Amino acid sequence: MANSEKMMCPSCRVEMNHHCDKVAYTTDPQHGGQMDPNLGGFIEEFHTCPKCGCGAARPA
Amino acid sequence: METGRPLFIPVILGTARMGRMSLHAARFVTTELGKSAGVETDLIDIAQLPLPTNDAGEAIKHADFSAKMNRADALVVVSPEYNHGYSGLLKHVLDSCLKEYIHKAVGIVGVSAGPFGGTRVIQNLLPVMREIGLVTIFWDVNFSNVQKVFAEDGKLLDESYIRRIDKFLKELIWMAKTLRQGREHVSLD
Repeated sequence: MANSEKMMCPSCRVEMNHHCDKVAYTTDPQHGGQMDPNLGGFIEEFHTCPKCGCGAARPA
Repeated sequence: METGRPLFIPVILGTARMGRMSLHAARFVTTELGKSAGVETDLIDIAQLPLPTNDAGEAIKHADFSAKMNRADALVVVSPEYNHGYSGLLKHVLDSCLKEYIHKAVGIVGVSAGPFGGTRVIQNLLPVMREIGLVTIFWDVNFSNVQKVFAEDGKLLDESYIRRIDKFLKELIWMAKTLRQGREHVSLD
């Protein structure tokens, strides 16, 4: 399920734009709880700040 | 929408070998890119990145390289062709980041001592670029018989490359602007 909370730019304090989801495959046990069994991995969201252009990611 | 922020398009030199002719190609591309209005660039030599080889991926992320990739709007990768492939070190370096690349443009410059100008290494790099979230442009630059294109001191001997690189960079810059607009303003939701 997508994370509905808006991500804020740590530098500019403005809402970042969510422009991409990507499935990540890993054997790292720390991601075990976020694994989507239908996709075989976990989804990462990618966000970009419209003011400074910096990017950030978080688990969906 | 133009933001006034210059585009940042670094050039990655994808080999650490002694005597690498790709260095001349990378310097040439960086110089030409630096002439473009509203574009800042930097030459990143992977030989200068002290990445460990006993691990890989995000675990070996290099802070300065990561910051440059995060700031970048597009990349140029200059790669020689070694036995039809790219250098292991280039892949090692590229794999150290992910979120920094997403929805950014990339253009690939192939270099070879033979007549094919790195055509095969470019083809081999395309699926790698796609998987790490970069968006490839459809122009390439192929430095064939590179030992005849540059003098030993790096001077360009074949001026036809100036026009070739101009077409390549114009496409890359257009893609960089377009994808910046998308990253910053077009929502997936």
